[in-house]
Amino acid sequence: MERQKWVRLDNASNIFLAASTNSDTKVFRLSAEMAHAVDPGCLQKALDKVYDRYLLYHSVLRRGVFWYYLEMSELRPIVEEENVTPCTALYHFDRKELLFRVLYRKKRIHLEVFHVLSDGTGALWFFEDVLKEYIFLRYPEEFSEMPQSEQDRMEQQLEDSFSRYFRQQGPQSFTEAARSAYRSVVKTSKRAGRVAIHFGKKTSRYVRPSLKPMRKKKRVYRIKGEKTPDQRPRVVELSLPLQQVLPLARQQNVSLMIYLTALFFEAIRKTSPDFRPNDTIVVSVPVNLRQFYTSSSARNFFSTTYLEYTYGQTEDTIEAICENLNSQLKNSLSKEKLGQRLNKLIASEYNPFGRVVLRPIKDVILKGINRLNNRHLTVAISNLGKVSFPERMRDHIQQLFFLSSVARPQFCMISYQDCLTVTFTSPFVDTAIQQAFVRLLSAQGVTVTAAVNQVTDREIEEGRR
Amino acid sequence: MLDFWSNIWGSVYPYPTVPLRFDRKKIIPLMMLSTIISGIIFLIIEALWLNQKQGLQLSVFGVLSLWTVVYTIIRKRRNIAKSITYLIVVASLTSIYLDYATEWNGWSLTYAIPVMCIFAIIAMYIAVKLVHLNVGDYVMYLLLALLIGLLPTLFLVMNWVSNPIPAKLSIGFSVFLAIIVVLYHGNAIREEWHKRMQI
Repeated sequence: MERQKWVRLDNASNIFLAASTNSDTKVFRLSAEMAHAVDPGCLQKALDKVYDRYLLYHSVLRRGVFWYYLEMSELRPIVEEENVTPCTALYHFDRKELLFRVLYRKKRIHLEVFHVLSDGTGALWFFEDVLKEYIFLRYPEEFSEMPQSEQDRMEQQLEDSFSRYFRQQGPQSFTEAARSAYRSVVKTSKRAGRVAIHFGKKTSRYVRPSLKPMRKKKRVYRIKGEKTPDQRPRVVELSLPLQQVLPLARQQNVSLMIYLTALFFEAIRKTSPDFRPNDTIVVSVPVNLRQFYTSSSARNFFSTTYLEYTYGQTEDTIEAICENLNSQLKNSLSKEKLGQRLNKLIASEYNPFGRVVLRPIKDVILKGINRLNNRHLTVAISNLGKVSFPERMRDHIQQLFFLSSVARPQFCMISYQDCLTVTFTSPFVDTAIQQAFVRLLSAQGVTVTAAVNQVTDREIEEGRR
Repeated sequence: MLDFWSNIWGSVYPYPTVPLRFDRKKIIPLMMLSTIISGIIFLIIEALWLNQKQGLQLSVFGVLSLWTVVYTIIRKRRNIAKSITYLIVVASLTSIYLDYATEWNGWSLTYAIPVMCIFAIIAMYIAVKLVHLNVGDYVMYLLLALLIGLLPTLFLVMNWVSNPIPAKLSIGFSVFLAIIVVLYHGNAIREEWHKRMQI
């Protein structure tokens, strides 16, 4: 049995620590709206059961002289009624606390995760298992009265995400669960005798090379505005019927994500008074590397790609923006480009320079790099795709939501059954961009339902009435 | 702001009403006001009791140390051992400067620092027992505080002190406690050292 209960934090996750601020806490939230009010007792039991299987989630983050490290703790998570603002900080450098929380309110269950621990896909495995376990415990009669054949089918469908993803490797120790996904992909490739990835030769270059030549010529537009008084994010949650939006994207021959990004660009252009006719909008898009490389790690395993559109070059229609963004995305997802990016991430893990630099100095360097990168970024988006649950469970889960803390306006999208949820978060009070986005959709005949959180004293007062 | 949204509002409002934790528009004027008020108080104290002509120097210094202590306490509020260690450093530097600014006679090195070290170590020991901190979470800070407690050795060697007793007391006390800590918590120290110093 392995005695070591701590793992050095990988370089790729270090950037989240360096980049986290009071307003951008690097926490993201997955939520599910259930058919009935949440039973906290059942939720706690479900969480306890799932928590025992996911050793990674037992981690607390500590600081060393050279590194941050994840340490396995004996803490137990406790579900709490939601009485904080979305994506409130989870990590405090001198407090030993779990890097996730489970909250509930009325019909909603929320899982909030600090990005250092896991990415959206990794967290979704955990969340799916909590929801399945919760439904089982909450409605036991439904599942015991099922005919045998249906029970067998259900069991097959219900194989939890944990065993689906980790089965090949048998039970994991804490160090295995907490190891960097980028390191484990090297280990897997080596074992399989197909080391397709070169690492260690190049030192990592963190500053995006693709944007370097652009900086001198193009002016990247950055959104400004009045920030929220206590740094809580402004959340605008939009629910859209998939069957109404999907045809609009198909009409343009692009994915839903590209279509909505194009609308987002247009909304920014239309509502920003200081937007110049030749300005460029740049969006960062995380790419889940699990789609392309074998990895059973629930740790961060994604790479970020940047798409941009410069206005005033051609006729700036939605079609033109869609086409342009789509070809950029296709190009960045080519085998060669993905390999390059993964190599860079792996090289950063093995970079000898990174090992001997003191942690506070590394933090300052990474903060600087992050600030430089941010100067050439307008907005961000994140897409978790379509989520499905076994048939019998679908009646109990009505809608899924996904949102993230932000340094700049961003939307996160997730779809479930016939509902697409697009949740905007922003550090600013103003919602003009989001309103323009809704108008663009409504003009195409899409029925939009919205909810907006309260961020100013006046709104809070009105909310109390 | 929310008028537009109320037209396409969903049936149930999904967010709890959370009062503002603070308002950044109000915080800055508040900090400015307290800075000015404490500056004036320092000037009055200086004029009435200290009978010294330091001008704005002491007052600016007072305000700076006020904000340094506030910042230290807020930033280190979650680990009491760390907070006390940082406060020893801040208070020691403050007293040295104050001594220097008020026609140096060495009271900071002779009395203030050694006495502060002794009582800070006692305070830390009481505090970590009261709040039930894990050994691993405080032992390195306790060691650091003990090391600071040994600093008066330098004052003695360099003959900077007018009365050697407080310095000797601080050194003796720190050595004695350091031996006890190493004997009792040697394993925890090794483990923490290994974790924190890993390259």
